[in-house]
Order: sequence, then C-alpha cells, then structure tokens
Amino acid sequence: MNPLTDTTKWTVGGVELGSRLLLGTALYPSLQILGEAVQASGTDVLTVGLRRLQPEQGGGNSFWQRISAMGKHILPNTAGCHSAQEAITLAHMAREIFNTAWIKLEVVGDDYTLQPDPFGTVEAATVLARDGFQVFAYTTDDLVVAMRLRDAGCAAIMPWAAPIGTGRGPVNPGALASLRQRLPDAVLVVDAGLGKPSHAAQVMELGFDAVLLNTAVAQAGDPVKMARAFGLAVQAGRAAFEAVPIAERASAQASTPTVGTPFWHGA
Amino acid sequence: MNTLDMLDVSLNGRSLATAARTLQGLLQQQGYELGAAMACAINKQFVPRPLWPERALLPGDQIDVITPITGG
Repeated sequence: MNPLTDTTKWTVGGVELGSRLLLGTALYPSLQILGEAVQASGTDVLTVGLRRLQPEQGGGNSFWQRISAMGKHILPNTAGCHSAQEAITLAHMAREIFNTAWIKLEVVGDDYTLQPDPFGTVEAATVLARDGFQVFAYTTDDLVVAMRLRDAGCAAIMPWAAPIGTGRGPVNPGALASLRQRLPDAVLVVDAGLGKPSHAAQVMELGFDAVLLNTAVAQAGDPVKMARAFGLAVQAGRAAFEAVPIAERASAQASTPTVGTPFWHGA
Repeated sequence: MNTLDMLDVSLNGRSLATAARTLQGLLQQQGYELGAAMACAINKQFVPRPLWPERALLPGDQIDVITPITGG
C-alpha cells in the first residue's frame, strides 16, 4: 500500500472524493501547464469562473473544451458578484452550462480585500440551497457566519485562511481551529490565502476536510511541481489529523528511557 | 427597415438597436453559435435555454451572455 494514499475518502455535495485538494484553473502560464498541474496534484475537483461572451469570440471555447476533457468534477464560482441576487442568477446560469448543482458561492463585500459579504452570502446560500443547489460557501473565519451557512444547508463551508491571492497562510489559526471544534459535522474547506504546502498541512492537521487552492500553485516558479507538493502536504496533514497528534507540553520530557542511564551512580 | 421597428437594448454592457424580437433572434443576429457553452440572463434574471426562442425583447432590456473561463 502506498502510505500517502492511506487516508479516508470524503464526501461533499453528494459525491465521494479521493483527493482532499480542490484546484483553481486561473493564472497558469498556459493551458498545457494547467493540465500538467491538475494531473500532478491528484485533484478530483476543478473550479471555473464565468464571464461575458462576446459574439466575435464565436462558440469555440478552448479553455472549456480542455477542462471538460479532464473528466474532473467542476465547481463553478460566482466570483465578481456583489449581491445575493447576482450570485443567485449566476448560479442558475452555471447549473445550466455545467449540468451540476454544485456552486462555489462568492459574494464580494469589499473590493480591496475581496472579503466576502456575510449578509449577502447567507442570503444567497439560503435561496440556492432551497433551489436544490449544493452550495460551497466562501466566507471568512467568523464562527457565527459559518453557523448561519450551516443552518442554510450549505454542502461545504469554506473559510479563508487569508485574503485571496495573498499567500500569507492562516493569519488566524485559532479561529480556524474554533470553526472545526464548534462545527464538527460540517464539511469545512479552507479556501484562499494559502501560499505554501506547509500552510495546507497546517489546516489539514486541524481537521479541515479539504483545501482549495489556485494562486499558490498557478503562480509558483514551477506550478506542476508545486501542485504535487500541495497534494502531498494535504495528504500528510490529513494523515496527521487522523493519527491524533500529541498534546503540547509546557516542559521537556526525555524521549530516551532514563532507566539504565550510564555513569549515574546516585548522590 | 424603419428605425421605429428597432429596439434599443444592451448586450453585455454595449448599447445596440436591434430588429430582433426574441432573445434567440438577437443571439443569432449577433452571430452567436447557439450550441456553444453559454447561458443567458435578462435584467439580471436567468433565462433558461428552452425559453430563448420565446422570450420577447423589450425596450431597455439588459442581456448578459456568459461562458466558462478560468477561475479560482
């Protein structure tokens, strides 16, 4: 058995998945490198966006043809929406195009930090869940907002580790740990702000169900190698969580047995 | 065609005058390939594909046509 695959499968949005890494498709140097990174990461889920199609672009969409040929689960997003109504409409459009009930719900509350609007997000999540969507809600690490999203019926709650694209890693790991502790039955996915594989391992060790990445892989010096590194880190973090890490101690405790210590002859 | 027969609408944020009377007519007139991976909304309301032929255009309608792109 390959020890790196010795972690449990998980289920989100009604689908059982092997990989706990969800990967974005933006900002790669080329479609070719995107494809190689997807393969190297081991991911089962790819996120995509939606934008206006001008008639002069024709009907050909090489990006979508390439992505759909990969055979991954598609998680369309509502990036750029500034209100619940916009996000709801875009979710319905996405469901028709991709023939999926999955939607990564994003309602922007602040254009500078790209911080999600908790009120619009909860409002849209409530409507969409009622309309049969499997809502993956992008949110902050605010516990009460996460509780409201759970109550709205979200398939996954996806707190940021840090603002989108910053690569800072978890700026408030205590809040993330609190989310996991207070919402033990919710599917929790850290989405946004991770920069290094160690960040992914850190949140997976907290017990998060998965990690969603884009910039950290796409903008790395070698996106394909970084995709593999993140895939391994997510597996390592999950395995560590399942293995139950030791409790921290305030003082040192020798690991080598003290009985039989040489040269000790008493007082 | 008499300019009185033209409708002023907005397509993906661009103003235009059209003789089309339905959403599908407008899409065809503008050169869209109807089988493409795309979806439509009018005035921020989703218009399912089966309704494209019958959704009548009204003056001032704001039409959005979207397609998949890269995204995180």
